[in-house]
Amino acid sequence: MGGGVREVPATAEELQKSLLEALKDYKPQVEPVKGYIDIVVPVEHLVEAAVKLKELGFDHVISVGAVDYIAKKQFKVMYHVTSYLNEDLSKFMVSLSTYISRDNPHCPSLTRVWLSAELQERETYEMFGITFDGHPDLRLLLLTPVVAALKPLRKDFVVKEESDNIETDYEAFESSKWW
Amino acid sequence: MDMVTAAKVFSDIGWGLFHYIIFYPPVYQFIIIPGLVAALAVVVFMIWFERKAAARVQMRYGPLEISPRTGGAPQLIADLIRYTVQELIIPSAADFFAFIVAPNAMLILSLLPMVAVPMTSISEYWPIPMGYSLLVAVALSTLAPIFTVVMAWASNNKFSVLGGVRESFIVVAYELIAVISLLSVVPLLHTFNLVDIVNYQMSGIWLGLLNPIALLDLFIAILMSTSGFPFEIPDSETELVAGPFTEYSGLIYGINMGGGYIRRWAFSVLMTLVFLGGWAPYRPGPGILLGYFVPSLIVVVKATIVMAIMSFLRAVYGRYRLDQALSLAWEVLIPLAFAAFGISVAEAFFGVHP
Amino acid sequence: MSEGSASGVPHLPGMEVRPVERNVYEVQIGPSHPGSGHMRIIVELDGDVMVRVDPDIGFVHRTMEKLAEGRDWIKNIPLFERMAILDACNITLPYVEAVEKLLDIEPPERAKYLRALLCEINRIASHLYGIGIFAVFLGHSTIYMWAFGDREVFVQLAEDLTGARLTHSYPVFGGVRRDIPDDFPQNARKAVRYMRYRLDEYAKIYLNNPNIRKRLEDVGVISKTKAAELGIVGPNARASGIKYDVRLVEPYEAYPELDFEIPVFEEGDSLARAWQRVEEIKQSLNIIEQAVDWLEKHPREGFMHDKFWKTAPKLYKDVYEGNIPYAGKYRVKLMPLFATLKVPPGKAAARVEAGRGEIFYYVESDGKDVPYRVRVVTPSFRNVIAFKYVMPGHRLMDLPTIYGSFDYFPPEWDR
Repeated sequence: MGGGVREVPATAEELQKSLLEALKDYKPQVEPVKGYIDIVVPVEHLVEAAVKLKELGFDHVISVGAVDYIAKKQFKVMYHVTSYLNEDLSKFMVSLSTYISRDNPHCPSLTRVWLSAELQERETYEMFGITFDGHPDLRLLLLTPVVAALKPLRKDFVVKEESDNIETDYEAFESSKWW
Repeated sequence: MDMVTAAKVFSDIGWGLFHYIIFYPPVYQFIIIPGLVAALAVVVFMIWFERKAAARVQMRYGPLEISPRTGGAPQLIADLIRYTVQELIIPSAADFFAFIVAPNAMLILSLLPMVAVPMTSISEYWPIPMGYSLLVAVALSTLAPIFTVVMAWASNNKFSVLGGVRESFIVVAYELIAVISLLSVVPLLHTFNLVDIVNYQMSGIWLGLLNPIALLDLFIAILMSTSGFPFEIPDSETELVAGPFTEYSGLIYGINMGGGYIRRWAFSVLMTLVFLGGWAPYRPGPGILLGYFVPSLIVVVKATIVMAIMSFLRAVYGRYRLDQALSLAWEVLIPLAFAAFGISVAEAFFGVHP
Repeated sequence: MSEGSASGVPHLPGMEVRPVERNVYEVQIGPSHPGSGHMRIIVELDGDVMVRVDPDIGFVHRTMEKLAEGRDWIKNIPLFERMAILDACNITLPYVEAVEKLLDIEPPERAKYLRALLCEINRIASHLYGIGIFAVFLGHSTIYMWAFGDREVFVQLAEDLTGARLTHSYPVFGGVRRDIPDDFPQNARKAVRYMRYRLDEYAKIYLNNPNIRKRLEDVGVISKTKAAELGIVGPNARASGIKYDVRLVEPYEAYPELDFEIPVFEEGDSLARAWQRVEEIKQSLNIIEQAVDWLEKHPREGFMHDKFWKTAPKLYKDVYEGNIPYAGKYRVKLMPLFATLKVPPGKAAARVEAGRGEIFYYVESDGKDVPYRVRVVTPSFRNVIAFKYVMPGHRLMDLPTIYGSFDYFPPEWDR
């Protein structure tokens, strides 16, 4: 599976260092998180960074998720990946993330790199409205078109709650009866 | 004078009723035993038995609600009453005439072989001349399955069509096995006459012992033809909602479900007469009761035991896939049926006689 | 989306129109079908062979990720548990672990063993459920009844431990909700002995039944590289030769100290997946015995982290000691501090091996008393892609075989 990482990483810090070294052409940055390693690359280099990660041995995607930072007007798209076939790397979770703008959200699709991302990108598309360019079959997965048009998981979609005092229109109801 | 005339008239009417209507062989055999009444009684008992036996294997009780002291036996009667009064829904896209006629035709044609078989060796109680009765009975038993395909097509439903196509594949496969297995006794005994076949078995050696391969083949062919596990393919519930019977509701649904069992009953009676001795070892005495009623009861009991064995297999087996069942039939069972025929010929050659 | 590509067909709002090839028979194994569960599978058939399979899921979508953003931290535990209530401890455990990473506390050792104990009980119950449903799809109703009847034993054990049969809500931040009762170890040992005997019976009538073996062998074969490419999880991946179990690669709770094996099969067909689950049940029984031994030997202290236990009122401590005659011993209520918990800002992720595979949570907090974002990926959701890529080429009657062998559970994949 390619060359793997240079030396077998025993801890997360070593893996983080070797990943930053391997991806240094793509201007990566690390964000402080707990339980996994988060590497942020700009959107232009996302596909190439993904190809490089796949060569290093990360062969499937655990999760494709997005977070809506409405104050900063950005979406953060995260691809959590790990490895099945490379036993040294399967202990670690690495997240390849990128920031895209909130007003015209487009992100290149990584389905050609990791097939396991196909259905999850569809789900992110319908929940946030992020279009994944190059996805072979981008359509709705869980929601109906009426609901998906509201882009439910964005922060400006507020779930309307019913109060205890529900107003009813008795005259309209009475006049609509035909029996 | 009047009283004697009245008593004589009543006894004459009674005698006439008895001899010419109830125990008139074609009527008796088609309607009472082994026809409609016996078939329905056995089917009611058999479905209850199947549910109870399968339930005991599966660590549960089975039907118990209706009358716990008798083990839930009237459950089937309750189901029948429910089906009778249930609303009959006929889809508007279905072909009305074929939709309604097909289940009824299936029921009647499933029972038709019962008119061609003897229930006793006394010649005045034979419904038809018995010279070629085995051939006639086997031929009549092949009439019914086409109506399943008619049912499936008339329902105008994708799942029904898939079930009907499966049924047509299976019918083509098992017909040959059943016919050859049943006819494999003919070279041995040189006769198509069912009464002679049963009389040959009176000596104690049943033909099932002489030709066990034919018995096994016929057993499997009966399972295939009537959707018994492991061949419950046309109406497999988890893939095609109920196969050809999907769109049916109400009384014709009850007829469909019971019709499968009635077909199994007809084949079981044939199997009893040919392989399991018929009414042997009882020699029919003179008179209606000893000569007609009792041998027919013995045949009924033996056929019920055969059906009970088939019902029990529900608890043990899953379903075969369609192409696996067909390859089993064409590659294994048909050569075995021919082998059974060959065994019969060999036994005739070497003079092995029951 | 192909609106307008098919001419002459009226387009109603919400309708999706796509042209279908000729000579292909389209069957929709839809939501109201006795063998489909809460999903629709659109199958295009060429004769008896499936050409294209499209899983149409989303019928039980309960918007859990959005709901989680509006509830307090502790209230999300019963929310997430409803994704797969028969596996409740495993489903909520990564959420609790992720929040504990953000809170920077670690549960005491007794709590870890208690969590591992309930995880294994739930894993056995979940596997028995999967075996039962798979058998009834093949028409074998005996194993369906046996599996559900034997599952009752373990659901009773869970009820003794937590007080609820299925919706336990047992792991909470800092530990677990309660401690084990006094007669629990002997009940657990009886259950383990009973299950070992029953597994032999299952092998006799189901797994070694020639009828079932013919149906399952070489059906739905997934090779090792294909399984890694598709991202299949859980017993399905281990039956294809991938030796991956989160309890081994990234041990959590008490698993570093427990002694167990991971069975791996090489063939990758449906029979291997069925055997895989039976072997895993045997390993889980071993773990339950070890956990119960440890719990019996060690003193009863530390089922909850001190940070929360020291804020409990004196009544709780009395109930725990057994000083209150009408309240059950060791049964305490929920700590009041949870209701107003504020988690410091940060991002954390955790994963756990549930009954059906690896479940993953990503939790983000910005200092308030509700989460900012929770992303959950359930194992069944990651197996849905196998419908699309594994099934074509098989016959229609293999459809329930394949998706039954994946131990599908639509409420889990729809969340």
